[in-house]
Amino acid sequence: MTGIKFLIAVTLLSTTLHAQDKFFTKSGKISFYSKAIIENIEAHNRSVTCVLDKNTGNIQFSVPIKGFEFEKALMQEHFNENYLESDKYPRAEFKGQITNNGEIDYTRDGTYVSKVKGKLTIHGQTNDVETDGKVIREGNKITVSAEFNVRLPDYKIKNEKLQNISNTIKVMVNCPLDPLKT
Amino acid sequence: MSSKTLLLTLMVLAAITAGVFTCKEFNRKNRDLANVKPAYVVNATELINEFAADDSIANKKYLGKVVTVKGQIKKINQDEDGYYTLMLGDTAGMSSVLCAMDTTHFKNAANLPPISSVTVKGYFIGFDKDETGLLGSDVKLNRCVIDNRAQ
Repeated sequence: MTGIKFLIAVTLLSTTLHAQDKFFTKSGKISFYSKAIIENIEAHNRSVTCVLDKNTGNIQFSVPIKGFEFEKALMQEHFNENYLESDKYPRAEFKGQITNNGEIDYTRDGTYVSKVKGKLTIHGQTNDVETDGKVIREGNKITVSAEFNVRLPDYKIKNEKLQNISNTIKVMVNCPLDPLKT
Repeated sequence: MSSKTLLLTLMVLAAITAGVFTCKEFNRKNRDLANVKPAYVVNATELINEFAADDSIANKKYLGKVVTVKGQIKKINQDEDGYYTLMLGDTAGMSSVLCAMDTTHFKNAANLPPISSVTVKGYFIGFDKDETGLLGSDVKLNRCVIDNRAQ
């Protein structure tokens, strides 16, 4: 009887611990920036879902392509129709891991440099990527941020129509995460 | 006026018109959805169920469309830049309709009482199927406005 009680207690404890190991957001921010001859291009997406498991360092992002907002509607339409073909490929995704997760102290406030490695899928094309980012712990909130370059040809994004767009786009990630309670 | 000057005047006028049109088109902003007729009017929980049943069919139906969604407010989120996101749906479940509010309609979102019913009109941008079993699957809208007429 005590054995069973103990077993139940352990199971309950491990599931609650398991749940608290994860942090998430459903309204994270990803922006991109590109220098162009006529005009610089900038867009923001505030509908990004991100989950981080602090024990394993596993991290995932899901980005609805149509969620990128441009200042100018024409640019947004070109981005969706000609470049990213968002009707065909509505989502971009990253699945990877913080490889130096052991160096991040999730119990102490601070800014930690993170090394992230994984697979990035945009426009139906998947590539291995590796970048440096930051994990910022502030109270019970954890913010993950990163900045990296995406080369359009790597993702078969055609850049024929308007040659004034640079082939390299700077992507900025900033996602404040809440502890996942279940 | 000689025919030559007339032709010249016409050409200049045409050039100006084309210039104005190009400039206007180039600088055109995204439409405020407050005055756009929605393609669909649906309840938040029904919309979530539709995606849960078959997301590829539902995606085809809603992708890029303006949708009016009625539902219970589960949470009002404000990010560090001041942007609002409303989460609608059944408070017992993890799945939600996430409505990223249009910047010009923030005031309305800020004044909403929590745990109330609301009608939001927005542009459907995608569905996130939950792979972890912990997060819930979400229907995402952006450029959202509170639909006053439907209240």
